[in-house]
Amino acid sequence: MANGTAKLAGLVFSRETFAKLTPGPFLQAHLQQPEPIRPNGRSLDAFRTPTIHTGSLSHSNGSAVVRLGDTAVVCGVRAEILLASDIPHPPSEDTSEDDLVERLGLLVPNALSYRVLSLMHTSNLIKPGDLRIQYTEPATEDDLPDDGPKIVTKAFWALYIDVLCIALDGNPFDAAWAAVIAALKSTRLPRAWWDPDREMILCSPLANETHGLRLDDIPVASTFAVFSTGSALKQRSEAESWVLADPDGFEEDVCSETVTAVVRSDGGGVESITRLEKSGGDAIDKAAMGRCVHMAQQRWREWQGVLHGG
Amino acid sequence: MQTDRRRLNAPPGGTTPPVFAAPPDTKLHRPTRTRKPDEHRKLFLRTGIVPSASGSAYYEIPPQEPQPTALLVPQRSSLKITCTVHGPRPLPRNAAFSPNLLLSAHVKFAPFATQNRRGYVRDASERDLGAHLETALRGVVIGERFPKSGCEVVLTILEGEEDGWGAGGAEIKGGGWGIMTVLAGCITAASAALVDAGIDCVDLISGGVAAVKDAGKHGGQENAVVVLDPAPSEHDGEITAACVVGYLQSRDEVTEMWMKGDAGAQVQTLIDEAVKAASLVRAVLAEAVKDGVQAKIDEAEDDAAMTGSAKEGKGKSKEVVMTG
Repeated sequence: MANGTAKLAGLVFSRETFAKLTPGPFLQAHLQQPEPIRPNGRSLDAFRTPTIHTGSLSHSNGSAVVRLGDTAVVCGVRAEILLASDIPHPPSEDTSEDDLVERLGLLVPNALSYRVLSLMHTSNLIKPGDLRIQYTEPATEDDLPDDGPKIVTKAFWALYIDVLCIALDGNPFDAAWAAVIAALKSTRLPRAWWDPDREMILCSPLANETHGLRLDDIPVASTFAVFSTGSALKQRSEAESWVLADPDGFEEDVCSETVTAVVRSDGGGVESITRLEKSGGDAIDKAAMGRCVHMAQQRWREWQGVLHGG
Repeated sequence: MQTDRRRLNAPPGGTTPPVFAAPPDTKLHRPTRTRKPDEHRKLFLRTGIVPSASGSAYYEIPPQEPQPTALLVPQRSSLKITCTVHGPRPLPRNAAFSPNLLLSAHVKFAPFATQNRRGYVRDASERDLGAHLETALRGVVIGERFPKSGCEVVLTILEGEEDGWGAGGAEIKGGGWGIMTVLAGCITAASAALVDAGIDCVDLISGGVAAVKDAGKHGGQENAVVVLDPAPSEHDGEITAACVVGYLQSRDEVTEMWMKGDAGAQVQTLIDEAVKAASLVRAVLAEAVKDGVQAKIDEAEDDAAMTGSAKEGKGKSKEVVMTG
């Protein structure tokens, strides 16, 4: 605007300019205060409050919108039918129940697919019993009279779990995972039966004949970013590091190291670790890791309230 | 089917959507049009929903009556669209010189948007919608003010209007009327998002739809009624022609028109009615844009007040003096 007419009274930068020019020192200046406060106004271990809204999509069997601050994620669960006769290499009879869902590929998440899928499989979230469509074959003359009715699995429900990020401000995984869980919790599968005359699966459109999925204990993911002043030019012992819970977009850009802890309840109120991921950065000390897990356990309780209330 | 190597695929063997068979005694309630022929459905529009984009808007036509909960299959369609605008931003270095703003529009249905699951890659109808939208928007944006830059308008349809009424396992026989309402919604949402992004436009553009409704077997072509904003589920199999316009009200210009079907002698009325629908939508659009601007002003004032007060106190905001 004013070419040369402005007074050059030292360069005073506003907060936004400082953050944009040197994001690292900007974050460090905040964290080095006696009571560290992050640039977004949260304390180090403060998570953003989640809000969940379920059942807003009319064409899905289950859906959820999860908001974590400025991060908003929609998840829609759609159930389709996989005929048992169409499966190219049917698993043998002795495949364990827990492996069946993974073996048949009945869960098809999209967006952050592999992380979400492997977490769903390792935590055995979905019971294959909920996805079976069974049929009791009528007794034939060849059957021995004592055998009782023969139940065969004619088909499976395959769940397409589509996650869409509407707005992103850091930490997409926590939000996506929570959206997946909330959507699965609200999923209603119609009553389905094998129609021997038409040789196909028919479903009932009545809402009172549906059944939900049994998710007994719900794993909760909590992500942390680690900001460290360490560099290759310094001694490791001189470096300072801070653990930031639930990083936002700005913090994610500055921090190279993230830790994700997935915690679930172990029955009697004890939270156990399902998965621990650490990626990027240098090394995180044991005490900090312990603190992450501890915070994740705190967070688990917070999520339970939101998930069960919503 | 070709497998998509970039994402997880359906289980080998393929899946089919469930087929519903209603017990004979269930009563399916077919939605009927209760509003007047020249009445638009209520709609909701809000800007600035995606903080990370330069401009964004959310557009929704909620179901007019509450959905009866006894049935699993949705009986009323609703429309939910989010739009984000990225730009204006510099073109990549290797791009050819352009004296105008290069506008591109992408429309994508979410996989769960319609009764039949959508794929992840844009299909022909989505690309077609994108092309229509691009022509509609090109007429409003003042491209000369942004040379050497590009701007992307991305629309995601979270819930799309159906082509007909498909509850109870009935096959939808519509001729693609739902997509017309979707296009009108896209135009309105994109206009709001462009304004939110601060891209100079000659006027607000709003989308409007009108349709010729067959009067039935005994009514002839001259008895056909023209209705505003047709919800295909309410007029199952009755629509013979439909028209979408992108209309600039204060300049009385149409930048985009798409007509489909056989309107016969009613062509002129059809276009006029579509323009009327667009003018009705414009009122909502103008209100939403005004609210968006007001929210931005309030936020800026709050920020100014906060930095003023924080200057004396320790902590949150730091003014840094660079010397040397």
